[in-house]
Amino acid sequence: MKALAGKTSKQVLLITYVLIVLLPFTVMFFATFKSMSGLFQDPFGLPESFALTNYFELFRQENMLLYFKNSGVVTLFSITSILFMSSLVAFGITRMSGRKAALLFAFFSLGMTIPSQTSIIPLFIMMSKLGLTNSQLGLVLVETAFIIPIGVFILTGFMKTIPQEMIEAAQMDGANEWYIYQRIAMPISLPSVATLAIFALMIVWNNLLLPLLLLKSSALKTLPLKLLEFKGEYLTNYPLLFSAVVVISIPMIVLYIFLQRYFIEGVTAGSIKG
Amino acid sequence: MKARNGTLWLFILPGLILYSIFFILPAGSSLLLSLTNWDGMTYRFDWVGLKHYGDLAQDPIFGKALSNNVKFSLTVIIFQFGLSLFFAILVMKNTKLNVFYRTIFFFPTVVSSVSIGFIWMFVYDPNIGSLNLLLNSLGLDSLARSWLGEPNLAIYSIAFVQFWGHTGQVMIIFIAGLQSIPKDLYEVANIEGASRWNAFRYVTWPLLAPSAAIVLAYTTIQSFKSFDLIISMTDGGPNNASEILSTFMYHQAFTYYSFGYATASAVVLMLIIMVVTYFQFRLLKADRVVY
Amino acid sequence: MIKKRSAIALSLIIAFTMLLAACSGGTGSNEQAGANGKKGDKQTINFIHWRGEDTEAFKSIIAKFEKQNPDIKVDMTVYSSGDPYANALQAMILSGEGADVFVSAPGAQFNNLLKSQSFEDLSGSPLLENFTPELIEAGKSDGKQYALPYQLVYNVPVYNKSLFDKLGIQVPSDWDGFLAMCQKLKENGITPILYGYDVSPGQLINTLVMNNMPDKDTFTKFQTGEVKATDPWFVKTLEQFKLLVDKGYILKNATGTKYEGALALFAQEKGAILAAGSYAMATIAKQNPNIEQGLLAPITTSAADMKYEGIHTTTFMLGVNAKSKYKEGATKFIEFLTKPEIASEYANATGQLLTVKNVKYETKELGIQGQWSSKKTVFQPRLINTNKKIETALNESLNMIVSGTSVEKTISTTQAEIDRNLTK
Repeated sequence: MKALAGKTSKQVLLITYVLIVLLPFTVMFFATFKSMSGLFQDPFGLPESFALTNYFELFRQENMLLYFKNSGVVTLFSITSILFMSSLVAFGITRMSGRKAALLFAFFSLGMTIPSQTSIIPLFIMMSKLGLTNSQLGLVLVETAFIIPIGVFILTGFMKTIPQEMIEAAQMDGANEWYIYQRIAMPISLPSVATLAIFALMIVWNNLLLPLLLLKSSALKTLPLKLLEFKGEYLTNYPLLFSAVVVISIPMIVLYIFLQRYFIEGVTAGSIKG
Repeated sequence: MKARNGTLWLFILPGLILYSIFFILPAGSSLLLSLTNWDGMTYRFDWVGLKHYGDLAQDPIFGKALSNNVKFSLTVIIFQFGLSLFFAILVMKNTKLNVFYRTIFFFPTVVSSVSIGFIWMFVYDPNIGSLNLLLNSLGLDSLARSWLGEPNLAIYSIAFVQFWGHTGQVMIIFIAGLQSIPKDLYEVANIEGASRWNAFRYVTWPLLAPSAAIVLAYTTIQSFKSFDLIISMTDGGPNNASEILSTFMYHQAFTYYSFGYATASAVVLMLIIMVVTYFQFRLLKADRVVY
Repeated sequence: MIKKRSAIALSLIIAFTMLLAACSGGTGSNEQAGANGKKGDKQTINFIHWRGEDTEAFKSIIAKFEKQNPDIKVDMTVYSSGDPYANALQAMILSGEGADVFVSAPGAQFNNLLKSQSFEDLSGSPLLENFTPELIEAGKSDGKQYALPYQLVYNVPVYNKSLFDKLGIQVPSDWDGFLAMCQKLKENGITPILYGYDVSPGQLINTLVMNNMPDKDTFTKFQTGEVKATDPWFVKTLEQFKLLVDKGYILKNATGTKYEGALALFAQEKGAILAAGSYAMATIAKQNPNIEQGLLAPITTSAADMKYEGIHTTTFMLGVNAKSKYKEGATKFIEFLTKPEIASEYANATGQLLTVKNVKYETKELGIQGQWSSKKTVFQPRLINTNKKIETALNESLNMIVSGTSVEKTISTTQAEIDRNLTK
C-alpha cells in the first residue's frame, strides 16, 4: 500500500513538472499556426486551424535548406573536434601527476569564468588578420576553443573516477597511453562523453553570436541567423520565428533521444567492469 | 611516472594550443583593455590604470546589477541543483516512461535562450500573457502580477525561466553519475536493511559528489553568465530592475561605447565566479574524493 | 623532456605572434584583399542593417540591383537593432573587413562613427540630388555629408481616430484639452495612453519637452551641465507626466509591458493612444485594418504658447565604409536605393516615409504621415544628445514616474546619473 502511494505521488510530481515544462511550449507551438494579430489577441488559445501556412512560408524562402546544411556541417565538425580534443586533454590531465595536472585543469576551467561578450571584438580582429572570417573552418576552430573548457571540466571529473587498478593492469600487459585512452578510458567514460556531446550540440547548434560575427556570406550562414530575419527594429514576426524555432529544434530532440542510448550502454559497460 | 609525462603532453597540446589562441588570447587582450579608456571604435586609447575599478565602486547601477546578480544566481543555484537532483533520482532507471520524462524535461535546453525569452514574454505579459490568464481562470486573480514590471519581482521571474530552462539539462549529469554507481552497493545496503534515506545518505551521496560538484559549478557559472535570456526578455529593465553583471557589461560596451569600463566589470564578474566556484569545490571536497 | 620543452616553446611562439597580429592595428587589411573574393572582378559588398522587418523588401531590391549590375553581389546581414548591431559594426569597422554599406542612427552612434573616421565623405556625389536637402542634415558634420538618412519618422503618438470619432472627441490643442480628452476616454472604459517601457519613454519624452523647452539645443547642454534635470521646465514636464500616471491615464502595469504588447492592445482597441511613433502605423494596420489612425502629440502648454506640433527624426542613415575595398560598388548600391521607383517600392513595402524625393506613397498610413510634412515639427531632441548614458538617464526618468516614484526622487536620481557622466 505504502509503496503504491509512493509510486502514485512520484508520478503526480513528474507529470506536474511535465506540464510546467510544456505549457510555455504550447504557446509557442500554437503560435506557429496563428497570424500576428491572432497571436497577440490570444497567445494562449487554440489556433483557428492547424494549417501549415507559416511552415510553408519558411521553406518557401530559398535558403532554408542551405542553412540546414551549413548548420549541420559546422555542428558535426565542431562536436567531433570538441569531443576529441577535450577527451584527450581530460585524459592527459587525469593521468598526469600533482601540481601540473591541477594547474592545467585550472587553466582550462578558467575559460568558463571569462565572460565572452567582450572578447568578441578582439577575436574578430584576430580572425580577420588570419583570414579566417567568413570561413567554416574558422568558425569550427572558435566554437571548439570556446567549448573546450566545459568539455575538459566535465570529462576530467568523470575520468578521475576510473579505477586505477584497471589502468595498472593494462600497463602490466604493456599497453601504451594511447591504448589506455582508446580502449579503457573512453569506453568507461561513454556516459559522460554522451553528456558532453549533448551539451556541446545544443550550444553549437543554437549559437548565434559567433556565426553572426564570423560569417557574412549568405552561402555559409547557419540556422540561428535565420531567426534574425524575423526580428525587426519595431516588429518581430513571432509566428514565423517560432515556426523556425520548432523546425530547428526537431533534429536536436531526435539526436537527444539517440544519444540517451549511450547512458544505457554506459551502465552495461559499468556492470561488466563491476 | 615522469617518463610518461612526455607522451601525455601530446594528448594535451592540440587542445591547449587551440584554446590558447582562439579563446585565451582574445579574452586576455580584452581584459587588459580594462586598464584603458578605449571606446571600442578607434585605435586610440590611453592607459588609465585602475580608474575604472574605482568608478565601478561608485556606480549605483553597477551596485544594483551586483545585488540583482546575487539574488538571481542564488535562486537559480538552489532550485536548479535541488530540482535536478530530485528528478534525476526519480527518473534514473532506464525505463521507457523515464526516457519519456527525461526527453520532455530536456526540451527547454534544445531551444536557444533568445527564443526561450520570446516565449516567456508571451507568458509573463501582464495584459495578454498566459500566466495571468491562467491564474484568473483558476480564480486566483489576486496572484496575477506584472511579472517583469514590478521592481522586486522581475529578477526572480527571470530566474525562474533560467532554472526552468536548464534543470533538465544538468539532470543528465546527475543521471550519468547515479548510473555509474555500482548496483551491488545498493544490494548490500538493502540486505543490511538501510532505509531509503540512509541508502541515499551513505551510499549515493558520497559517490555522487563529483557529479554534484560539476552540477553546482556548471549551474553557478551558467547563472552568472546568463545573458541572452535577460537581453531578450527585459534588456535589463525596467529601471535596471533586471540588470545583472553580464548585461551591465554588454550595455557599457555596446550601448555606451565604454569598452574599457565594460571590461573592468568583466574582470570583476570573472573574479566573483572564480571565488564562488572555488569555495563550492572546497565545500564538496570534490578535489580530493577517494575511491 | 626535449619533446615537452619544444612543444611549450612552440605554443608560446604561436601565441605571441597572434598577440602581435591582434594588436598591430588597422593597417595591413589590404594584404588579404583577395582572401574573400572568389573570382577576380566580381565584387561582393557587405550591407548591414538592423531592420529585420524589411528583410523581404531589401531582398527583392537587391535582386534587382544585382541584375542591373552583374559584377556586384550584395551580401546583406541583418542584426537586431541596438547592441547586437553596434557590436557587429564595431568589429567590422575596427578590422576593416565588411560593412561596406552600413547604417547608423543620429546622435551617439553617428558621433562615435565620426570620431573613428569610419565614413567615406559623400559630399558632392551626384546621388545627393535624389534627397530632400533639409532632410539629410542629420548626416552632416562640419559641412560634409558623411551619412544619408533614408527614413523619415514622426515620433508622435499614434491615436485611434475611429474611436475618437465614435466618442465625439476632438484632437486637443492644449494641455487642459489633453487632460479632458484622457478623462473622457477613461470614463468610457478605454485606457487613454498605452505605454511600453522599452520604446515609449524615448519617444514620449520628445513631445513632452518640445513646448516646455522649445530651444533646440537644450538636450546637448545636459552633457556639459549647463542644463539640469532640476531646471523648472524639466520639473514641470515630469510633474505633468506624473499627473497622467496618477490619474490613471497611462496603461496599468506599464513597467511590465513591452512595446509589442502595448501595440497589440492598441490594435485590439483597448487603448486610444500608443506612445510610439509613425513607424507603428503599418504594423497596426496589419493587425487591425479597421482602425483609422492618426498622429497626436500632447501639447503641454496653452495653445498660444505652443511652438511645435510634433517631432521628426531622419534616421537609418546610409554610409559607405571609409576602409571598404569596394567603395564604388557600395556607392552605386546606395544610389540605387535612392532611385524614385526603388525608394517607392521600399516605402510601400515597409510603411516608411523616406527622405528621398519623388517617392510615390500608396498606402493609407503613409498618406496620413505625409500630411505631417507641412506641420511645425522639430528634430528629435533626444537624439541631438551625443552622450548615450545621459540620454538613457533622461528616458528612464519617465519609467521611474510610471513605476510610482515621486518627482523629487526621480529628478535627484536622474541628475545624479547625469553628473556622473558629464562629457569632460
